[in-house]
Amino acid sequence: MKGGYMDSKIANNRNILIAVDESENAKRAVLYVKDLLAGLSGFHITLITIIPEPPEDYFMSESEKTEWVKDNFVSARRIIEGYHKIFSEAGFREEDVKSHAVMKKCASIAECILNEKDNLACGTVVIGRRGISKKEEFIFGSTSSKILHTAKDCSIWVIE
Amino acid sequence: MQEITQTDQKQFSREELRERIAHWMGPERVPKKFSIITDTTDFYRVDYDDVVILGEIPYLIRNNEREGRFGIDDQQKYWVKRARDLSDGSVKIIKLVFHERFQSKVGGITFDCFRSPQKEARILDLTKGHPRFMQGFALKDSSNNVIRIIDYIRGKTLADAVLKYGQDHEDYFYNYFPSIFDEYMELVEAIRFLHEHDDKHGDIRRDHIIREEGTGNSRWIDFDFDYLHKENVFGYDLFGLGNILTYLTGRGDVTSQLLQQASSPLISHLTEHDMNIIFNNRVVNLKKVYPYVPAELNNILLHFSMAANVFYDNTGQLLNDLNEARVKLNKP
Repeated sequence: MKGGYMDSKIANNRNILIAVDESENAKRAVLYVKDLLAGLSGFHITLITIIPEPPEDYFMSESEKTEWVKDNFVSARRIIEGYHKIFSEAGFREEDVKSHAVMKKCASIAECILNEKDNLACGTVVIGRRGISKKEEFIFGSTSSKILHTAKDCSIWVIE
Repeated sequence: MQEITQTDQKQFSREELRERIAHWMGPERVPKKFSIITDTTDFYRVDYDDVVILGEIPYLIRNNEREGRFGIDDQQKYWVKRARDLSDGSVKIIKLVFHERFQSKVGGITFDCFRSPQKEARILDLTKGHPRFMQGFALKDSSNNVIRIIDYIRGKTLADAVLKYGQDHEDYFYNYFPSIFDEYMELVEAIRFLHEHDDKHGDIRRDHIIREEGTGNSRWIDFDFDYLHKENVFGYDLFGLGNILTYLTGRGDVTSQLLQQASSPLISHLTEHDMNIIFNNRVVNLKKVYPYVPAELNNILLHFSMAANVFYDNTGQLLNDLNEARVKLNKP
């Protein structure tokens, strides 16, 4: 790959996007990648956490929204910094591990993750599977299933 | 975001208001004492016989509206008032501002829910003139509260209306259900219209469809409810549509308890796969109970069963299947 990390928008399988949240399955995904790639060179990892922005209607005032955004960014950064540390302690070079917290209006979190995958030219997406019940999948949908069914031009690793 | 302009509240003398009340309600209904209210923030203080002035129009407040929910009938909704428009005598429903956030549990699944006057105001604007939605408008009171003024729909819920059709289920299914099915499809089309405009109804259930006397139009009501969705933004709306279709097909809920009470031999043929995915006592595989239900229709119902592996993502998919099923609903 010419240029620096993420300079090109051409997806590279060695550019790995790990979508995380506060759940145990996200942690498992992080640990899996860490164990698999520790000691190998040429891989670039981006940890991303998506904060789905509630609809405007949710907030009673602008100040309430500002407070909500601030609190959620603080939590999100705490999560990804914790995961970032796991890679640092495993010997990954600082320049090979990036982390982002992104707040977006998401009709679908899966779509938001895949958009970020495109923006960051990642050829591999890693997600943990929540193991939700059939009822929950029916009502709320499953992010990992949607990613599996809609992702294009990339590899998907689903960590159980 | 829709801008709701604040209009100045017109001034009315007490004498003028008394005259208007006497004109529309009769002289005997003029209250001896009443408050004139322009700020509705504290909706508990907006009481029977008070006059609320919103914009150019005074409204005489009548009773609080009530709603049955979660098996509890007649819960008073203190923020929803029935009223008489003192400019033309029409009956209105006035919805005052009540922000609430709460967790609701349906079938063991927890939802983060909230009530939003802005959402309802936006949908009223979007669906103006649409025959399948309640009609009304929003404006702000003197304290900037977004008030919705809704035309009162005289009529029964669609769910109550269908219960009296047919001498038995077979008679109902062949002679009444096809036109009810058409009505249902139009209601689903109406929800598709909302979804295409990035809004959800938020609280689709059978008592939120009122069949208007006179026109016979069934209309969706109550749009102020919302929930924080996860992966599938419209999942809960679609679940509600599935429940209503099941109810209409069965001419009421067919539950395992009802079959047991009737000592029906069918009970031994039912498995958990025949039941609603969330409400596990409701039969959705209605072909097992009523064999003349066409497979095309039954297959739609099975999308809402414990056995389902494929779910509807959007109303377009549901409508495609409904169209196919419709062809099979003619008389035998």
